[in-house]
Amino acid sequence: MKRHYLLSAILILGTVSAFAQSGGELRFCLRSEPKTFNPLLVEDEASETIRYLTGGVLVRVNRLTLKAEPDLATSWKVSEGGKRIRFKLREGLKYSDGTPFSAEDVAYTMQQLMDPALHSSTGDAFRSAEGKLTTHVVSANEIEIDFPAPVANLVNLFDTVAILSAKSPQKEMAALGPFYVSERKAGSYLSLKRNPYYWKKDAAGKQLPYLDSIRLDIEQNPEIEAMRYKRGEVQLINTVSPAIFEKLSADNASVRDAGASTDTEQLWFNQVPGAPLPAYKKAWFTSTNFRRAISEAINRNDLARIVYRGHAVPAIGIISPSNKFWFNSDLKPHAYDTSDALRKLQQDGFKLQGETLKDKAGNAVEFSIATNAGNRARESMATMIQQDLKKIGIKVNVVTLDFNSLLERMTQSFNYEACLLGFQNVELDPNSQMAVWLSSADNHQWNPNQKSPATPWEAEIDKLMRAQAASGDEHKRKQYWDRVQQIAWEQEPFIYLINKDALVAIAPAVKNAEPSVFRPQTFWNVETLALAH
Amino acid sequence: MLRFWSGAVLRLVAVMLMASFAGAMLMRIAPGFSSDDQELNSGLSSQSIQAIRRAHLADANIPHFYAQYLGALMRGDLGTSRSLNQPVKELLRERLPITLMNLAFALAVGWLLGLALAIATQTWDIPALNFLANGLSGTFISTPAAALALVFLLLRWPPAFAAALLVFPKIYRYAQNLLQHSSEMPHVLTARAKGAGPWRVLAWHIAPIAFPQIVALVGVSISIGIGVLLPIEVVSDVAGIGQLAWQAAQARDLPLLVNLTMVVTFVTVCATLISDAAQRGFKRSAA
Amino acid sequence: MKFIRLIAITVLALTAFTILGAHYLAPAGYEQQFRETPQAAPSAHHPLGTDELGRDRWARLLYGMRISLTLAPLAALFTTVLAGLVGGIAGYFGGWTERCCKLLIDLFLSVPWLFLLITVRAVLPLNISPEASVTVTFALLGLLGWAASARVICAGAKDLMKSEFVWMARAAGFSGLKLVRLHLMPNLRGALLAQFWISIPVFIIAEANLGALGLGVAEPLPSLGSLLRELQDSVMVRPEPWRLLPLAVLIVVISSFQVLLNKQEIRT
Repeated sequence: MKRHYLLSAILILGTVSAFAQSGGELRFCLRSEPKTFNPLLVEDEASETIRYLTGGVLVRVNRLTLKAEPDLATSWKVSEGGKRIRFKLREGLKYSDGTPFSAEDVAYTMQQLMDPALHSSTGDAFRSAEGKLTTHVVSANEIEIDFPAPVANLVNLFDTVAILSAKSPQKEMAALGPFYVSERKAGSYLSLKRNPYYWKKDAAGKQLPYLDSIRLDIEQNPEIEAMRYKRGEVQLINTVSPAIFEKLSADNASVRDAGASTDTEQLWFNQVPGAPLPAYKKAWFTSTNFRRAISEAINRNDLARIVYRGHAVPAIGIISPSNKFWFNSDLKPHAYDTSDALRKLQQDGFKLQGETLKDKAGNAVEFSIATNAGNRARESMATMIQQDLKKIGIKVNVVTLDFNSLLERMTQSFNYEACLLGFQNVELDPNSQMAVWLSSADNHQWNPNQKSPATPWEAEIDKLMRAQAASGDEHKRKQYWDRVQQIAWEQEPFIYLINKDALVAIAPAVKNAEPSVFRPQTFWNVETLALAH
Repeated sequence: MLRFWSGAVLRLVAVMLMASFAGAMLMRIAPGFSSDDQELNSGLSSQSIQAIRRAHLADANIPHFYAQYLGALMRGDLGTSRSLNQPVKELLRERLPITLMNLAFALAVGWLLGLALAIATQTWDIPALNFLANGLSGTFISTPAAALALVFLLLRWPPAFAAALLVFPKIYRYAQNLLQHSSEMPHVLTARAKGAGPWRVLAWHIAPIAFPQIVALVGVSISIGIGVLLPIEVVSDVAGIGQLAWQAAQARDLPLLVNLTMVVTFVTVCATLISDAAQRGFKRSAA
Repeated sequence: MKFIRLIAITVLALTAFTILGAHYLAPAGYEQQFRETPQAAPSAHHPLGTDELGRDRWARLLYGMRISLTLAPLAALFTTVLAGLVGGIAGYFGGWTERCCKLLIDLFLSVPWLFLLITVRAVLPLNISPEASVTVTFALLGLLGWAASARVICAGAKDLMKSEFVWMARAAGFSGLKLVRLHLMPNLRGALLAQFWISIPVFIIAEANLGALGLGVAEPLPSLGSLLRELQDSVMVRPEPWRLLPLAVLIVVISSFQVLLNKQEIRT
């Protein structure tokens, strides 16, 4: 239970340069058309961008300090072991269309969010148990929300909940954030204008945001986006590929490597008992020695150096080191050691005969790695892993599939052997990974929806994940999560390969930009971004 | 004439219905129909993931979906795109004119270049001209559409021009071979021997033989043009139906795919029907 | 003209020689990754430099040519035969046969075959060899690429059926296959050849694009199409002239074949 008195003005004081210019239109690109303008239903990146730029939230997590800061709420109090939270709201605020904001809107939003028919990840994050949520509007500026069970990381979750207006005729288009959507041309662009009723001011008392407007062009092709950036047609690129990063650097365009992100790329083997695979292959994939050997035979340094041009670090485990609090710093990277890999394989009866590795029954070790077509980095990594494993006598077939076909194999038919994919870890808190680490969960990729844990280590992980979800003590939760990371490191159900760096491009004309490794990397402090004229 | 056009309309409607139904069936059979990338969202609960799968399977019965679609089509409702959450009618209204304009430009320029080069190489048998024409057509037919589209973007030239450069080699190659072959006919050789000039030989003796096939090529060039233009639109981020088609395929967006198939079929078959009618008209006047 | 023919023959002979002798001419092999020198410029060790993963570009070009210049012409031949068959039957019989064939052609031009291709990939075993995968891909391209040309063939065949020499042949007792083989097909050679020549580079490029569906050539085997696909990167990222060599090779080889065959046609 913490009471935060760190005012946004202090932060702004620290970030705003004294001579910040105001006005102007910031331009950058979205990779796809936003699927929804309803902030409660946001699942894709484009919609999330719109939500971030237009939505007013009770609490905003500072992307540099990772601390929750007051936004629409001036203060909050968590009680009942994480089952209740009480917010005190700012007074006199209005939506972009002039509709007044009050605690009724918060209550309305939470009721909408927790509607079981909604099916959104924003709402599901609060759903720690079955049961109804209750809201109690104490006054126009105070609200109490009760959950049926304690919710881990409760305060920070409100960073993703944009408060809807219960009364505005514009419905979800009425914005409390720094901008509102003013124009949209489907397939082409969206135009956002400054919210005239935005509540925030800078230290000098000047109304924020500094920018007059933002134009978001729909641009699916990253090469074209880079070309437009070089021409000055756009001023930000939120995600730059390593190849384009090098090219822009060589052309003296302004790019930055913000450091290792929280995203991971990993390989895993199919351990589903009912998978349509030969029994001897299932035996390989369910062997810890086999998985550890594969892990040690992969040269992660080469993957980071060659595929990502040095803009990645070998991954250690579930959590990236940039997630400083939750990362288990006792863990070290698995060493690249083909001799030790062969030793581990020998323990399971594998033998190298000439240039071919065979199992104890004499089957040549051969399997396929499936990944999604069109992702050049993954295709390259799979090809490099193919070469790495050839050195220990394993034949790997690289199979690239269109994403939906791959997904169907992974989640429905289980007709695959190994899979190489990446995960975007948007949330830092381990509770966001319940659906990955619980053995009964859908995203327990190597063997999902287990009726009971298939292995003792998965049973232990189940216990630890439930314990951390139920605990309100952050340090206890850290201990549980450290142990989960340790088990995952030992057992390697996911063979983590690399954590790629957050590569961004920010034009020199954009002032007050402080890129973060956490999303949205370049415009997390959009209200204080300015353009030099 | 009435019989021809009534048959043509019947054929048009039949092909549109069969093609869109076949497309829907193929999409249904192909793996990944009920898959959604949201299934990998670890923030979603199991119930939410099941709900997403059920939503995708709502249209799993294709005959039923298609019957409902046709019923709605009669009322002017083209359905809603699942992947873009917008009415398909709005999407087509915004994007179809862009594609049609680009297609018209690409075909006009492609035909101009292709036919002009074919006639030039046929009329004047100059080795340097032949070399240039073959070299140009060989270059552009071997260049991937994506690479050419990006070069044009760099040069700030319209992407439709890239499509024209990719269409013209096919027009040139067909037209050149047809004219070449026609020029070997005995009566053409006779006309030349009798002193007829190259243009007279071309207009009176070669063209009439090659004309039916060239007219057929006009109809077919529409589908060649569409085949070339759609990937260019995807790469160049032109807000035409190319982008929509790729989106529909990736997201298994059934309503969008069925409508796009209808549109493409309509344009393609209309073009071939018009070229059939032109051939008939030519034969009547020749007779 | 003789000089140009000589050049064409030399080019084709060189191509055949390099394809057959790839193992000796590029001892580095197409899959070995020289990880210390990725994206290297041309040198004595690597005449065309190395690619993103440090693989010798020269070796990948030779092996890529072997795959594509063998399979693409076969697929083109297949598609040309199909186009000739359907178009010829339609034009020969006319009437309802022609109408049905035209309906089939229109359908083939309109149906989104993408999903058939995805389904084929799903049916193929995951551990299919890269060679088998690329063979299946080219076979599919051949199977699906005939429709446009068939229309042109049909129009030509229909016209030929009304020509005097065909009337005379029929009066002399020619019919069916003999009539088609001796009188129709030779006179449709122009359109058939056009279809054949166009199909080769189109199929080479299409094979690379089908990689997005999991078809096409699988790593580490290269194809000319996959090398051409890299051109897309070179436009925006690194405009290195040697990356254009696969494109130049394809243009020169196709042009050489055309020069040779066109000349032979005039002679006969």
